[in-house]
Amino acid sequence: MTPSPLAQIVTVASYEIRKYIRGRRLLGMLILLGLIVGLFVGLPPALGIKYASTPDAFVSTFATFSGLLVVLGGVLFAADALVSEHEKRTGYFLFPNPVRREVLVLGKIAASLLVCTAVLSLYYGAAAIAALAITGSLTWDVGLSYVYTLGYMTAVVGVAYLLSALLKGTVAATVLTFFLFTLIFSIIGGILPRANVEPWFIPTSVGFVPDPAISLLVFAAYAIAGGVLAILLYRRRELAS
Amino acid sequence: MEAVVEQSITRDAPVHLEGLGKEYGHFTALKALDLTVAQGTSLGFLGPNGAGKSTTIKIMTNLIRPSRGRASLFGIDVRREPTRALARIGAVIETPEFYGYLSPVETLAYAGRLRGMSSKDLHNRSEAVLKEVKLTDWADHRIQEFSKGMKQRLAIAQSLLNEPDLLILDEPTSGLDPRGMAEVRDVIKSLKDQGRTIFMSSHLLGEVQEVCDDVALLNHGELLIRGSVRELSRGADTSLIQATFLLSATPQDLEALATLPGVEEVKASGDSTVDLRISGGEEGQARVLEAMIGRGLKVITYRPLGSSLEQLYLDRIQESDRL
Repeated sequence: MTPSPLAQIVTVASYEIRKYIRGRRLLGMLILLGLIVGLFVGLPPALGIKYASTPDAFVSTFATFSGLLVVLGGVLFAADALVSEHEKRTGYFLFPNPVRREVLVLGKIAASLLVCTAVLSLYYGAAAIAALAITGSLTWDVGLSYVYTLGYMTAVVGVAYLLSALLKGTVAATVLTFFLFTLIFSIIGGILPRANVEPWFIPTSVGFVPDPAISLLVFAAYAIAGGVLAILLYRRRELAS
Repeated sequence: MEAVVEQSITRDAPVHLEGLGKEYGHFTALKALDLTVAQGTSLGFLGPNGAGKSTTIKIMTNLIRPSRGRASLFGIDVRREPTRALARIGAVIETPEFYGYLSPVETLAYAGRLRGMSSKDLHNRSEAVLKEVKLTDWADHRIQEFSKGMKQRLAIAQSLLNEPDLLILDEPTSGLDPRGMAEVRDVIKSLKDQGRTIFMSSHLLGEVQEVCDDVALLNHGELLIRGSVRELSRGADTSLIQATFLLSATPQDLEALATLPGVEEVKASGDSTVDLRISGGEEGQARVLEAMIGRGLKVITYRPLGSSLEQLYLDRIQESDRL
């Protein structure tokens, strides 16, 4: 008796997470995260510089790098998830099982979101603990910044899956995901105002102010559109070679 | 009424392909394949490279979409209801790759969980199939350390995991050493004996003859022949026979052999050995042997060079290539 799609999604997600753990991608990411936190907390006293005096200012130094962590998360935990089944021929094992392609995509997306959320939670958790220890207080804005980063992460993961379903090679999918969010969107967001177009819909240009709700909606739109298109494309993608 | 029942049996057959066609751009890989494999049959799916064998198998396992026609497994359309259609099958397609970070046991657990197997079943079946393909000692090793042959064994193991009613095998012995090939053939034969349906593509005609009851021959995306191995072997029109005589055959003997009814070609292949192309199937071969003995030639051995199925295969492929 074939299990329910939900049970199959859980199975796929659990094996994807195992891949990230055993493939040492997660370990690499955690080492990078530890390095960033260590530098932010350890470097100022070593150089005789004072820490920021307010919790918002202290956490904002961490938040500056959260965007890069999110993009790295998208590259390491999402961009090659679909395309690698074709390129590495593991699809010949996976696809003849009684499981729908959309279930496979949803299971993989769930794994990517869980791993990226865990990494970002650790990062923000470390920042919050450090802020509390050093400044003696915390504000709700720290939490809002965390939610905003998670929203951005869902957008990156959604687009990364779209590219993974669309492109033929893992290198192309990972490189394009990286440069799309570090370079291409930034260039577009920088040029649009010159044509009197506000770049509120460009994920890297979506500002925290004036309205965080709109920013979160934009991120959600990218995440949903990316995910849905990835499913539609992957359902039609053939394993012919 | 009988026709309706027959039609229903055909549609519910383990494999029923109806007008199946596939184009890759301007290239036609499969024209309009009609093929039904009945319950308990083991069918050898033969054809040269590019004949359309893998394309057919990939459509049957939902890896690619047909351009036209439909493929059903146990009466269920693979395209419309892939989950139900694939539930009762096991498949080995080309030489699949596995996740290098998993062990064979974990790989089987992944496939088993996707199929809804209970933990107990999974444990028992994993142990049994790994033993069957002689991978028990490697059960907990990461697959990234495995050779191509070991991966092929694992592929066979995962295809047997759910005790499938239909086994679809695309070149199942590819990448295996001769001993491994013989072991896999034994596994397939035992499954056949259990009454399971087998759909197996292969380049190795001897393998197909050993394992399969029926054969289907494909070339340029078209079905050339379909029938039982025995009937086709008997019905092969020409066969190549090697005869060895006690004394060397003289030029006169060779001329005389060439004039025997049914002998199409005579070629000396050694001092006392002659290769003969004989038409008329098994009866033709018997007539030529009788005639040789009747002429006073002392025949020591008289044996087919390659199987008659092989001859039939080559003849039909050549014929189809000429068209």
